[in-house]
Amino acid sequence: MATPRHLLLLLALALAPLLAVAAAEGAAEEGPRGRRLLVLLDDLAVRSSHSAFFGSLQARGFDLDFRLADDPKLSLHRYGQYLYDGLVLFAPSTPRFGGSVDQNAVLEFIDAGHDMILAADSSASDLIRGIATECGVDFDEDPEAMVVDHINYAVTDVDGDHTLIAGDDLIQSDVILGSKKIEAPVLFRGIGHAVNPSNNLVLKVLSASPSAYSANPKTKLASPPSLTGSAISLVSVMQARNNARVLVSGSLDLFSNRFLKSGVQKAGSKKRYERAGNEQFVTETSKWVFHERGHLKAVNVKHHKVGETNEPGMYRINDDLEYSVEIYEWSGTSWKPYVADDVQLQFFMMSPYVLKTMSTDKKGLYSISFKVPDVYGVFQFKVEYQRLGYTGLSFTKQIPVRPYRHNEYERFITSAYPYYTASFSSMGAFFIFSFVYLYHK
Amino acid sequence: MAGRRPSPAALLILLVAAAFAPISTAVRPVSDAHRSAAAELFAPSADGSFGDLERTYEAVRTFQILGLEKYKSETGKACKFAAEKLASPASSAAKDLFHAARISGALGCSVDAGVYDGVVARLKAVIKDTNSLLEFYYSVGGLLSIKEQGHNVVLSDAESTFHAIKALSQSDGRWRYDTDSAESSTFAAGIALEALAGVVSLADAEVDPSMVGVVKNDIVKLFDTIKSYDDGTFYFDEKHVDATEYKGPITTSASVVRGVTSFATVASGKLNIPGEKILGLAKFFLGIGLPGSAKDCFNQIESLSFLENNRVFIPLILSLPSKVFSLTSKDQLKVEVTTVFRSAAPPLKVNLVQVLGSDSKVITSENKELQFDLDNNVHYLDIAPLKIDVGKYSLVFEISLQEPEHETVYSTGGRNTENVFITGLIKVDKAEIGISDNDAGTVESVQKLDLLKDTKVSLSANHLQKLRLSFQLTTPLGHTFKPHQVFLKLKHESNVEHLFVVPGSARQFKLVLDFLGLVEKFYYLSGRYDLELAVGDAAMENSFLRPLGHLELDLPEAPEKAPKPPAQAVDPFSKFGPKAEISHIFRAPEKRPPKELSLAFTGLTLLPFIGFLIGLMRLGVNLKNFPSLPGPAAFASLFHSGIGAVLLLYVLFWLKLDLFTTLKYLGFLGIFLVFVGHRTLSYLSSVSTKQKTA
Repeated sequence: MATPRHLLLLLALALAPLLAVAAAEGAAEEGPRGRRLLVLLDDLAVRSSHSAFFGSLQARGFDLDFRLADDPKLSLHRYGQYLYDGLVLFAPSTPRFGGSVDQNAVLEFIDAGHDMILAADSSASDLIRGIATECGVDFDEDPEAMVVDHINYAVTDVDGDHTLIAGDDLIQSDVILGSKKIEAPVLFRGIGHAVNPSNNLVLKVLSASPSAYSANPKTKLASPPSLTGSAISLVSVMQARNNARVLVSGSLDLFSNRFLKSGVQKAGSKKRYERAGNEQFVTETSKWVFHERGHLKAVNVKHHKVGETNEPGMYRINDDLEYSVEIYEWSGTSWKPYVADDVQLQFFMMSPYVLKTMSTDKKGLYSISFKVPDVYGVFQFKVEYQRLGYTGLSFTKQIPVRPYRHNEYERFITSAYPYYTASFSSMGAFFIFSFVYLYHK
Repeated sequence: MAGRRPSPAALLILLVAAAFAPISTAVRPVSDAHRSAAAELFAPSADGSFGDLERTYEAVRTFQILGLEKYKSETGKACKFAAEKLASPASSAAKDLFHAARISGALGCSVDAGVYDGVVARLKAVIKDTNSLLEFYYSVGGLLSIKEQGHNVVLSDAESTFHAIKALSQSDGRWRYDTDSAESSTFAAGIALEALAGVVSLADAEVDPSMVGVVKNDIVKLFDTIKSYDDGTFYFDEKHVDATEYKGPITTSASVVRGVTSFATVASGKLNIPGEKILGLAKFFLGIGLPGSAKDCFNQIESLSFLENNRVFIPLILSLPSKVFSLTSKDQLKVEVTTVFRSAAPPLKVNLVQVLGSDSKVITSENKELQFDLDNNVHYLDIAPLKIDVGKYSLVFEISLQEPEHETVYSTGGRNTENVFITGLIKVDKAEIGISDNDAGTVESVQKLDLLKDTKVSLSANHLQKLRLSFQLTTPLGHTFKPHQVFLKLKHESNVEHLFVVPGSARQFKLVLDFLGLVEKFYYLSGRYDLELAVGDAAMENSFLRPLGHLELDLPEAPEKAPKPPAQAVDPFSKFGPKAEISHIFRAPEKRPPKELSLAFTGLTLLPFIGFLIGLMRLGVNLKNFPSLPGPAAFASLFHSGIGAVLLLYVLFWLKLDLFTTLKYLGFLGIFLVFVGHRTLSYLSSVSTKQKTA
């Protein structure tokens, strides 16, 4: 008698946390990504020397877990669950990670749809280079090489070897770099990389100027450097097909307090900026990497015949239909309507039969109406939305299209009237003739 | 642990060095940049508070040291905050009372003597009961702060407190946090020394000098564990880096600096610490540059303020406002020697004793004394008489104090080495470009180039010819200059690039491209190549990247097995953007005759029927043969109405019915018709046979 009551109590206790979680989620909108970041350092001093960058992440609600890269207790997942949602890899010189983490573990972490910021340095280890290579970025193989630019360097009182680059060749993308233009050049000191030409997921965010080259500034050059000119990328981003985002920087100093707070003057230019563009650059790019911007979701995919509201299970050829979808972008705190004028719908069977740009009400609703083609078969409503910096949207909905039924064809065709009248008149004549033939005397 | 991983400490030093190395190149005294950074880091929140007591103290103290007026506006609030804590000593932890007393001390808040009596009693009670180093530190520090505010505080059992704290010390100069803990820490050593210094100043009678001597020895041992970089920077760090307890080199070093300088102030006699270690610590804190967190900022600024005026050694920092000197603008070599807070140093001389080239070759070791500019507090020297050419040099300076008694007060570090760049305008001349034949070597077409402005030469060559490019680079002192970057770039129309380093000889730079040997490298690509020359160096003020013009190259056809040019990167942007719209083309409806024509033909098809009717009329059709008997007459009418029904069914089939319904009805009608038709026709035939037989 008492047992069932106990069971009920136990069940209630077990469900209570679930209910609490559900209530909490209802209160604040759920973003596309979690907020737990693992920060791997090869030296805890980086935590203070780069504290402004970490501070800006923490101020945006991220939960940072600082670990030494060779921490023997290091682990990315436990019991099949990832412990972190993102990785900040500020350990350029670490030869191997501690614990259960290795290059493959990091790559699997990304393959599982997590994000990463990787900063290398002139001391970059093979491990870091290996991870970068897997992300489509090849660092200069010469371990002593740095990016040198004798024309577009930043003027400072203490450095004269022109390895402090004032980079201003930024990618034209509001979604990656924020809508506010980065006016001041971005300070960079480190190694250059080339993006793999066969990898079309990688984008150069900060490119070197045509006069730059990657070489050891301390020794004479005997052979041409492998990386020169604007082919050198200083900072690149990669958005994988699973929307995992990776930022690779050849400079760890780029994120440092010193570069974030210092002024900058580009050689040959009179204008001196009070603050380098680094602070804005690292804040905006980290927002992008950790999916606080440029993450789209599509909801309420609907289609129906014009004049109806219910979704049919099948269309007939030549039907007029309406299709609509709502697209929202994550703004870091809430889902905002996504406004664009280039979202396209395909009506697809082996190849698109109809491909049209949808019209929008500027509040996130995209809609279109069109006539079903006069080809029957199993079609798909297909939206493939790939835009620079945004997560890819790709969703399909299958729908069969049938031909006319036998009684749906036109019945009274004027041009067939002569045939009808001919047959009916002969039938009438037969009827009369049957009387005449049988009863005439 | 240490056995498993061979040398974690050594590795860490290396890593820390790597992280700080770029920073430590810029050791400059505290400047206005620090003030604005501090003001930013300690920005009060919306309600005007700085956070908890500790942070408030750090903010107030940092502002006070840096001489920022800002904190004065917050005085009232912070004082009230501290007074609230001090008013209830019994319920507050020693830590809170300590910070509150220090806030009051720093801001000069007016606190009633009675309030302080209560706090003093509480702190003394804590000292009696505790054996924890932190509790000692907070209580002694609190008492000391109250005493400094003019309140009479005497620690009667100073000797025993001193012993109690000293009992926690370890043989290597580090301290434990309490008697139970086995781990010793450098950070703890710093706060222990500060607490001991506090005890000495609070004592009613003089503390046993032998005990003070022992602590002095401990300090010397502690300084044996100091770590260093190779540029003369020293810092303290924990021996065992445990991520939870670990405080980082800045906090640890700051704690030791506070402890040692406080102890040196109260202890009689001088501490036996080498001056360069104190200087190294100062360099460490200055090397941080602009701190990133409030805690680091406080530690940096407060430590430097302790170093600015201490009894061990006062570090004097030699720094160069600029490390890049231009021969063109005749820059002066300027050297500043100041304390860490940029106040003037005692009278001293700065000598430039040596100039080393980039490969550590001695350029000159003539001793030159720098002149002193009293107004700007700068030592300066003209570079021109040194006869140094452009390039990278290491300058070795020697500081000598003019008054011998200052030698024991100030630490100058003796020789200081600074790396500098001398830059200048490089003269580019005798630039020529031309094409020559392979065998003869006679130059067919030589064009003079002016590399100071863009040129547009147009050359043409085939694979049997050579491209020659030559030019001279001369430094301001007339030597041949060999820049780091001398590249000639050939860029084909298809974006295939070839880069050549222009080799330099003693007199000139000359590049000869023999196309015969290069056809394979050029992938047999004929066509237009753009030429671009890049010359640049750190010491060259007029580095340039200049298009020279183009070369029309005629190369032989590629053999079958020739290497293919590398794939050019596809534009990653091409996959973005909307695609071209596609509309379905519907099948065109069949062509139909005009309606009028159809109707006309409809009328025509009716004509035979009408003709048939008229024909029947003309023939005089009658129905006399219709059965007269009621039975056969009924069957005959049924038979004909049945035929009529079938014909009507056909009409209905056209109008609305489908085939299946029609056939169904037709089935029934058919059976009916067979029946009545049989009766009718058999009657009719029997009638006709009767008539014939009759």
